[in-house]
Parts: sequence; C-alpha cells; structure tokens
Amino acid sequence: MSNILQIRNLHAAVEGKEILRGIDLDIAEGQVHALMGPNGAGKSTLGAVLTGRPGYEVTEGSILFKGQDLLAMTPEERSWAGLFLSFQYPIEIPGVSINNFMKAAVNAKRKAAGQSELSPADYLKLLKSKTALVQMKGEFIKRDVNVGFSGGEKKRNEIFQMAMLDPDLSILDETDSGLDVDALKIVADGVNALRSPSKSSIVITHYKRLLDLIVPDVVHVLKAGRIVRTGGRELVEQIENQGYDSIND
Amino acid sequence: MLGRDEVPRRLTLRENDDLHIVFVARPGYSGNVDFEIDIVRPGANLEIAGLYLSNNGDKVNFNVCVRHLVGGSHSRQIFKGIVGDRAAVSFDGLIYVAQDAEKTEAYQENHSILLSDGKVDTRPQLEIYADDVKCSHGATVGSLDEDALFYMRSRGIPFEEARKMQMISFVSDILDRLPESYRNDVISRI
Repeated sequence: MSNILQIRNLHAAVEGKEILRGIDLDIAEGQVHALMGPNGAGKSTLGAVLTGRPGYEVTEGSILFKGQDLLAMTPEERSWAGLFLSFQYPIEIPGVSINNFMKAAVNAKRKAAGQSELSPADYLKLLKSKTALVQMKGEFIKRDVNVGFSGGEKKRNEIFQMAMLDPDLSILDETDSGLDVDALKIVADGVNALRSPSKSSIVITHYKRLLDLIVPDVVHVLKAGRIVRTGGRELVEQIENQGYDSIND
Repeated sequence: MLGRDEVPRRLTLRENDDLHIVFVARPGYSGNVDFEIDIVRPGANLEIAGLYLSNNGDKVNFNVCVRHLVGGSHSRQIFKGIVGDRAAVSFDGLIYVAQDAEKTEAYQENHSILLSDGKVDTRPQLEIYADDVKCSHGATVGSLDEDALFYMRSRGIPFEEARKMQMISFVSDILDRLPESYRNDVISRI
C-alpha cells in the first residue's frame, strides 16, 4: 500500500501567526482518516494549505501528493492531480451557473490530462448520475453556484462537485456542520458511494455522528497546530464522552 | 445597430415613446459619450444601458443627462464595466425631475470592477423638484472576488478562465441586452 499523501514537519502561518506547528501525516491509498480537534487547532488551516489557498504561508516542511511536490503546484494543478476540498463555507458565485462552472472544471481537468472535451451527451450523462447521487433535481444545475442555497444544499453541492471531479484524495472540512439528519445521511451516502481501494479521504469533524456514517480507518487529534494523538475509532468514543481535554501529548 | 458616430446623442421622447439604448465601449475605444435626453410627454419609457471594457490606456467619459419635464414617465440608466491596465473611465449621470413632474420613476446605477492600475470616477446625481416620485441611484466600485477565484481554481478552472468567468458574470445583465452574434463578439474580447 503506497502513500497518496506524505506530510513532513509542516509549519504554516496566517498573517504572520503560526497556526500549524509541525504536522506529520501519512495517508495510504484507500484509507479514510478522521481529523478531530478543538476550534482553532488548525484543522481548516491544514485543508487550506493542502489546496493552496492564498494567504496561508508554509514556513517549513514538505508535502508530497502522489510523489509530487504539492507546494510547488497552483490550486488548479492540485485539482487536476486529484485533490479536492469540500469547503466548510462554500463560496457564492453570482452570475455563474452550476452547469457552466462544472463544465469548465471537468473539461479543464480533461485538458490537463491530454483528453478531449466531453461530448454534450456524455457530459449530460455524467451530470445526471451525479446529481442523482446527492438527490438534487434537474433545475439545480441552472442555479448560480451556491447563491441562495440552504446550508444543506451547499454541502450537497460540494459532494456533487466531488463526484463530478472524481478526486483521489478528498478533504471534507466540517461537511456535517449545520446539517439535519436527513441531509447528513445524503452527504454520507454520497461520500461512501465514492469510496474505493484507490481513493482516500480526510474527514474533518467534531462529531461522532458523521464518523458513524463515514467510518474512518485512522483517527487523529489535532491540538494547537500539532497532531497529539493517532489511533482508531476508540478515540472518537473517548472524545464524545470525555472531550478534547482528556487527550494530551 | 449604429456605429459610434451615428448614435443620436440629443433626443426628445414624446407620448408613449419607448426607447432602449445599449452603448458598448469595447477595448481600444476612447472618447466622450454624451447623452442628453428630454422626456416631454407622459407615458414615455427610456432605458440607457452602457458597457465598458476599458484597458491599455483607454479613456472613456460618460455624461448622461435625463430630464423628466413632465410626470408619468420612466427612465432607467444602467452602466457597468471593467477597467484595468491604465484605463480611466468616468461616469457623470444626472436625473432631473422638474417641478410638477409627479409620478416619475427614474433609476440610475453605475457599477465597476477595477483591475490593477485602472481608474474609475463615478458621480451620480439627482435633481428632483417634484414630490411624488420614485427615484434612486447607486454606484459601486469593486474588485474581483478573491474567494470566488480560489473556489473556482480549487475545482480545476485555470486562473485566467476563472477571472474571465467572473468578469462575464458581472456584466451579464448588460450582455443579455445585445443581439446574440454581437454579444459573442463582445464576450470574446473580455
């Protein structure tokens, strides 16, 4: 089993303030890793650094994604290489329909891989199967990206995009926050349907209820910018029952 | 469709006249764009839309004056554009509503996206001497939405294409007013 992601001694700062303070993390192909930790621990920062968000400065360390130097790649190159972040707060893009947005994204990835654009028929077929996966109706794709969406619709839209792009490593940043039980199940079913021996995920969450649905292979606890504990599902139980204070270096 | 020197700039609208103007300042266009329109009969309807895609040192000055001299008429001015690369655009827009021109509805908007090294001056003005009117004006000057650009790039849309999509969407309501073949030509220049 080879590592899809290898993070070594990663330090990162936002506006000069160090948030990540020496992260080491290996994720093997096919594995789901849960990343838990109190607010401000650096969970979302790690997702932002992995996807190359402007404003997040890596001050030390290295990240290899499928053997490539991830930090040398632009955000779009990281996406083409098979990395995907489900945003905690998905961004609204007025005036850009989901259809045009996804067509541009899917075809950019194909172009980068030296493939021709999808024919309209094949694109439509892909679109239909993936909207069905997250139980979105046909009109959904005509709406402007995330504009006027409920919290649940925004998260389903993230999983829809993930399904369309078929990434090798997905980072789900608090995809469960603000979801009711039904929406949570739709999202989890969507994610589980995309699991395969070659696909890996990082699931960032505070709650056991998501990890009961998307069952992780490995659980990490992040505190003050460092991974302070790595274990199995028993860590989820411990956090649920005793809180993050019960876990220390 | 009229060329730049054929557009009548001083017009008078009479009973139930319905006039729609779309003015496009394409990249490479510099000049003064003046419209002076008097509405002298009730029931007239006027819409002036403007689009500017100014770069590479273009200088465009809009001067739009709409005078409602009688009541019961409508006007709307909507000017939008993208300004970058040493270009400068100014917009002076006046809505004048004469005394006794009651039940006038007049609106004016000017919205710009400023790219690096561009300049926009916007001076919307209202002069209203009647009491029972609906009038408003609004102006914004903004930049491209960095969060939206990152979101698009994180989905694999290349930086330049993401910028272009955002610019097209910003002016899409003006583009929608153009005939299709001309609209595609304008979009290809964004």
